[in-house]
Amino acid sequence: MSPDLHHLSGAYSVDALDLDERTDFEHHLFVCASCQAEVRELSATAHALDSLVEHAPPASLRASVLAGIAQVRPLPPLVRDDVAEDAVAHHPGSTPPATPAPEVGPAPVGGEAGATTEGATVIPLFRRASTWLVAAAAAAVLAVGGVAWGPWSADQPTLTAVQQVEQAADATTVTQHTGQTMATLAYSRSRDQSALTVTGMPSLEQGEVYQLWYIGADGARSAGFLSAGADGNGSAVLEGSLTGADQVGVTVEPDGGSEQPTTQPVMVVKLA
Amino acid sequence: MMDRMPAASSGPPTPAPGGAAAAAPDLAELLRRSARGDEHAFARLYDATSRRIYGLVLRIVRDPAMSEEVSQEVYLDVWRTSARFDATKGSALSWLMTIAHRAAVDRVRSSEASRRRDDAHAASTHDVAFDGTAEAAHISLESQRVRKALETLTEAQRSAVELAYLGGYTHTEVARLLDLPLGTAKTRIRDGLIRLRDTLGVPA
Repeated sequence: MSPDLHHLSGAYSVDALDLDERTDFEHHLFVCASCQAEVRELSATAHALDSLVEHAPPASLRASVLAGIAQVRPLPPLVRDDVAEDAVAHHPGSTPPATPAPEVGPAPVGGEAGATTEGATVIPLFRRASTWLVAAAAAAVLAVGGVAWGPWSADQPTLTAVQQVEQAADATTVTQHTGQTMATLAYSRSRDQSALTVTGMPSLEQGEVYQLWYIGADGARSAGFLSAGADGNGSAVLEGSLTGADQVGVTVEPDGGSEQPTTQPVMVVKLA
Repeated sequence: MMDRMPAASSGPPTPAPGGAAAAAPDLAELLRRSARGDEHAFARLYDATSRRIYGLVLRIVRDPAMSEEVSQEVYLDVWRTSARFDATKGSALSWLMTIAHRAAVDRVRSSEASRRRDDAHAASTHDVAFDGTAEAAHISLESQRVRKALETLTEAQRSAVELAYLGGYTHTEVARLLDLPLGTAKTRIRDGLIRLRDTLGVPA
């Protein structure tokens, strides 16, 4: 980790980083407790300047805000330490509802199967360590099972990223039971991708995540994170290339993940 | 970095930075009620914060119509995500203003806001302390305190903080606007904010 990144805390606190830097710094924030504390303080400090520029809004704003909220359902609270969803909800900087959704929008992660519209917009919130997971989540397009019905197209079902892997022409599916947990790994050599769907995963302690690994002759390489909902169900497309891997593993790691697995896998699925 | 951590800073959630109005309603409680769909609570939240949010957005975006639009989006986001507010991670006001600031900045950066850029330099650099748009009746104790604190910064620190936060510029743009060597503006911003923090005693 470059020590220079520490010095970005001030600029980050006032949204003065460009997008690349913002992403890099958020990665750093995830692992740097002192930067987290500093960002919190410096943000609060910067907000003191708001008192210099207070300005009464036009009355029409109040009317349109109150009319607007009447038509929007507040998101439910997070009911568990669902890191990825938490990160999505806390990611600052969105342009609200009208954001054109990608073909496969980031579906809500965990616990909300079928409820897709709320998760389609990334919501700005308190900046904190886990925000970088948003990028991870968006990249992996974590999706809860079921057909995702986006708010952007009322009558066209959109395949989730997981389904795209599962329904690839050359997809192979392996199912494995481990205790209460059932895992289904779908992989496609042509897409060089795999997707893992789980049910009955044990819930995690605060500050823990499920990390995915491609395991091959060269050892384990991180393949992103798996977010299971309160019901222990979840799915994810693994990050990176399937090539060279003959197993997929899941371990419990501290928030932010590890370079290499630090615990015994809770699950290993062998590719057929 | 550890030396930057105030010894007693890891305490519980603290009051709003600089304190909003003395009799300010409990914003965190209003957010909690909003999360349960209480539109009246949200209306009170709006009334308690709209000058601040709209003022900041207007300051950055400049165009009143666009500012109104951004402010509306901010409030809708706040309403929708109110259940996700976590009081252990900072004050409600700080949370709201973080959303508003990011939304305003993202808007000006995405909407080729060249019109604003053209004339913004002089305005943003020099007129904060005497902002013509600030109504005299609202020269609050808080803003007096903030102005005093700003005076403790070096000129370069103060300009860098103001251009970044109230101008919505990136540190690279700030460096250019202030003729600073590339890469030094971010240090000025951070040093200035730390100085402000220590002067204002902004809670962690």
